[in-house]
Amino acid sequence: MQSPALPVPEAPSLVPPALRGILPLLIAIPTLALFHWSLTGSDFATYLLSVVGVNIILAVSLNIVNGMTGQFSIGHAGFMAVGAYIAGYTSLQLKEVALSFLPVSASDQVLFMLALLVGGVAAALCGFLVGLPSLRLRGDYLAIVTLGFGEIIRVFVQNTDAFGRALGLSGIPQYSSPGMVFFWVFLVVLAARRLAGSSHGRSLWAIREDEVAAEAMGVDTTGYKVRSFVFSSFFAGIAGGLFAHFVPIINPGSFTFVRSMEIVVMVVLGGLGSTTGAVVAAIFLTLLPEGMRSLFGALGTEGSLAQRVDQIRMPIYGLLLVVLMLSRPQGLFGTKEIWDVLPRWLPRKRRGLA
Amino acid sequence: MAQLLQHLINGLAAGTIYALVALGYTMVYGVLKLINFAHGDVMMVGVYMGYATAFAIGREARGSFLGIAAVFAVAMLGCALFGFLIERFAYRPLREKPRLTALITAIGISFALSYGFQLDIGFLPGASPRAFPEIIEPKEWIIIGDRDVVVWNWQVISFLIAVGLMVGLQYLVFGTRFGRAMRAVSWDHRVAALMGIPTDRVIALTFMLSSGLAAGAGLLYAIKDTSVSPLMGLYVGLKAFVAAVIGGIGHVPGAVVGALVLGLVEEFVVGYAASTWRDAVAFGFLILVLLVKPGGLFGRVAAEKV
Amino acid sequence: MSANAQPVAPASPDTKSPPALLRADGVSIQFGGLKALTDFHLSIQQGDLLGLIGPNGAGKSTAFNVLTGVYQPSQGQVLVRDTKVNGRKPHQINLLGVARTFQNIRLFRALTALDNVKVACRAQTALHQSRLGLGAKLVNAGHNYADWWKALLLTPSFQREERRLTAQAEHLLEVMGLSHRRDEEARNLPYGEQRRLEIARALGSQPRVLLLDEPAAGMNTREKADLMVLIRKLRDDFKLGVLVIEHDMKLVMGICEQITVLDHGETIARGAPAEVRSDRKVIEAYLGDSYLESHGGAA
Ligand SMILES: Nc1ncnc2c1ncn2[C@@H]1O[C@H](COP(=O)(O)OP(=O)(O)OP(=O)(O)O)[C@@H](O)[C@H]1O
Ligand SMILES: [Mg+2]
Repeated sequence: MQSPALPVPEAPSLVPPALRGILPLLIAIPTLALFHWSLTGSDFATYLLSVVGVNIILAVSLNIVNGMTGQFSIGHAGFMAVGAYIAGYTSLQLKEVALSFLPVSASDQVLFMLALLVGGVAAALCGFLVGLPSLRLRGDYLAIVTLGFGEIIRVFVQNTDAFGRALGLSGIPQYSSPGMVFFWVFLVVLAARRLAGSSHGRSLWAIREDEVAAEAMGVDTTGYKVRSFVFSSFFAGIAGGLFAHFVPIINPGSFTFVRSMEIVVMVVLGGLGSTTGAVVAAIFLTLLPEGMRSLFGALGTEGSLAQRVDQIRMPIYGLLLVVLMLSRPQGLFGTKEIWDVLPRWLPRKRRGLA
Repeated sequence: MAQLLQHLINGLAAGTIYALVALGYTMVYGVLKLINFAHGDVMMVGVYMGYATAFAIGREARGSFLGIAAVFAVAMLGCALFGFLIERFAYRPLREKPRLTALITAIGISFALSYGFQLDIGFLPGASPRAFPEIIEPKEWIIIGDRDVVVWNWQVISFLIAVGLMVGLQYLVFGTRFGRAMRAVSWDHRVAALMGIPTDRVIALTFMLSSGLAAGAGLLYAIKDTSVSPLMGLYVGLKAFVAAVIGGIGHVPGAVVGALVLGLVEEFVVGYAASTWRDAVAFGFLILVLLVKPGGLFGRVAAEKV
Repeated sequence: MSANAQPVAPASPDTKSPPALLRADGVSIQFGGLKALTDFHLSIQQGDLLGLIGPNGAGKSTAFNVLTGVYQPSQGQVLVRDTKVNGRKPHQINLLGVARTFQNIRLFRALTALDNVKVACRAQTALHQSRLGLGAKLVNAGHNYADWWKALLLTPSFQREERRLTAQAEHLLEVMGLSHRRDEEARNLPYGEQRRLEIARALGSQPRVLLLDEPAAGMNTREKADLMVLIRKLRDDFKLGVLVIEHDMKLVMGICEQITVLDHGETIARGAPAEVRSDRKVIEAYLGDSYLESHGGAA
């Protein structure tokens, strides 16, 4: 019965199959280490780079739920907060611990990685708890419930001494580095791309396209939605953990609804369903306010406008969403990736999703 | 016992206000199947309109019956107009698009309003809450025992206004031609259009109605809280939404019951547990209800027509 | 490939014939006051090619929706090989071997034709694996998450599986004559091909029963006739039981062995094409009472 139809276009394989899965990692780690070493000097550049990285992780992970699965979460900052607080708390507890068989800096990084994973898993768990009831229902419920979840987290933190209440958590060891942040950026992009191209990703796309039909074709839509949500929350938690380890203090104010909206705007602007779109939009929207600030600062308008940038940014985000929906609902790239929309001189991948 | 009674009264008073806002969500959801995320913020805009009116007419006038009526009228009419504009220019163009587009638009409007009003550029009020003028001077109307139970005049008045508005709404939806048209649109707006119902007008009117009601409710809330702030819409709106979902979204009496239940639950949490947890309760409650009874207390998870 | 298709439940003891692949027992459903389907009975065996006809709004699609779990019946039961499936979700019923197409085409519009079919193929392997998972929900869930990791790590077993899915889906595209559309987005296909792609997708879920809701709608007479031949071939090649909704009487009469006629949710006739054609009630339902009056009874 096997058809002799079109041969499966396998990439000519130079790499043994067993290595294919981890090869990108083997290349990435030394590259990022190099990148890390080359980055010396300016604290501000380091900080900005880290923020950009964290935002990319957030946007790419949110895109898995909002873009690929077609659900709409607007509480991503809540999961980031869980990751930040849990990872930060873990690091604080482990501050005195050192793995004696390793050099100090290596030991720190191992503990840091551990804290990150703990934070990520905690966020994923919260994702499961929130996702299960709301993802059984129509899509819009998720929006409200995730928003509410963010509020619950905020109130919870403000009422818990271990998390420093409204004052926040300070003194978390500053283990993070751009190298580490971009290692996770790399991981999340790789994971998102591989997911999108896999049969699991296809099921997610199917849910996005037509939930009834997906269900009728045997796709356990609730299961898939919950899984994508858990997956996405995990990376949000990681982003939070990274964040907690390069800012001097984390408090409930860092993870408000505004923060969630920022990420939503990145995903919508990049194009719901486009991983590289999310990356581009995250970079753009993170650097834009900085650019404006320095521009206004340079123009020397009493500095007042420069300080206002943060304030003005938010209503503009809101309007941006409205304008995008009315004029270009597919965002920059739609569901395509950057290499699908770049000019012809770059080799193109085949059409269609993923 | 007396304490319990007092909490009951406070809870019901808060619940009636939520109910008016919740009705707005439910009505719009009914006709458009859209969760109008910006509803709470439209309400906030209405409250600021009332606030401006109260100042414009001056201290003496605003205490009088006519003054109060003027404040409410301006806020409710202005807000209805505002709701109309939003529907006309933001939602209508997206009516036949995927539902997500309208939802994102609504979220965008909500965000633009609640944070736009925090700017202090031009006529915008700025971020800090402002004291709402006492257009109804607080008086203790009923005192039982040695101040064990106190019922304030604004509680009674807002209860009466809220109940009056709800009865009016019930009549409108089930007793008038417009209500019939609304229910037809809610059943299937394309078919309703084929039957000669002016769906655009019905939907626009529904928006105006829900926005007007919201402005009224928002004023009552502001009187109770004696303050207005740009973020009030987000908070009151979210809780009202939770109330609507608890009752079963799209179900008019359900929204009222859900709101009363939520008002009571919040009040009891504040009274007997910790007030700092109040804002988390509504959402915890929501998640609980969704887990146990996904369609809400009265609603059913309707079968989508395939 | 269809190991899952072996009947699990023992056949009912009193009959020699195997249990019906799909059976409706006195199924009724209401929408508000509207009785969309009343006391509906149906039984599909392997090798059957049954027709379901009736005027617009008769409840045909509703019957499909009840059979596939999209709607829950208010009364009666639906059985798949003697297993009651009331209350199960559509995907669970699909995994038991019941696949369908939709009257108003519901393809995954932005996915390529190949991917449309692969989605359905993939879901079936999920079944195999969940069977391995000892049925325990937790194990099952763990398994599902582990499955994702395999995809992320591109493990050899994952890659093998992907290749198998691709081959399977390509085969089905070829069967439905869609190989040339392999990499095209479903929304860009012409109407008739979209309908055929829906059938290919349904076949991807390796069904034992195939429910086709007006598969020939919008096709011209030739295409329709071709399609009907194809449907019969599919039944034989894939060893299916098939139930077709179709408006074109001539066509249904031509290929179906048994026809059920619905009107206002009620089953008004059932039998071989010839019987049904001359049934007085059927003619009434289709042509109205006035026709009978002016023509003096059934032909
Ligand atoms: N989810 C639903 N809610 C309310 N009414 C419904 C729903 N689904 C179907 N109906 C109604 O049930 C009746 C039967 O519809 P159904 O789609 O089964 O008809 P049909 O026989 O398939 O007709 P057609 O030939 O036009 O496809 C119709 O009156 C329809 O409006
Ligand atoms: Mg039909």
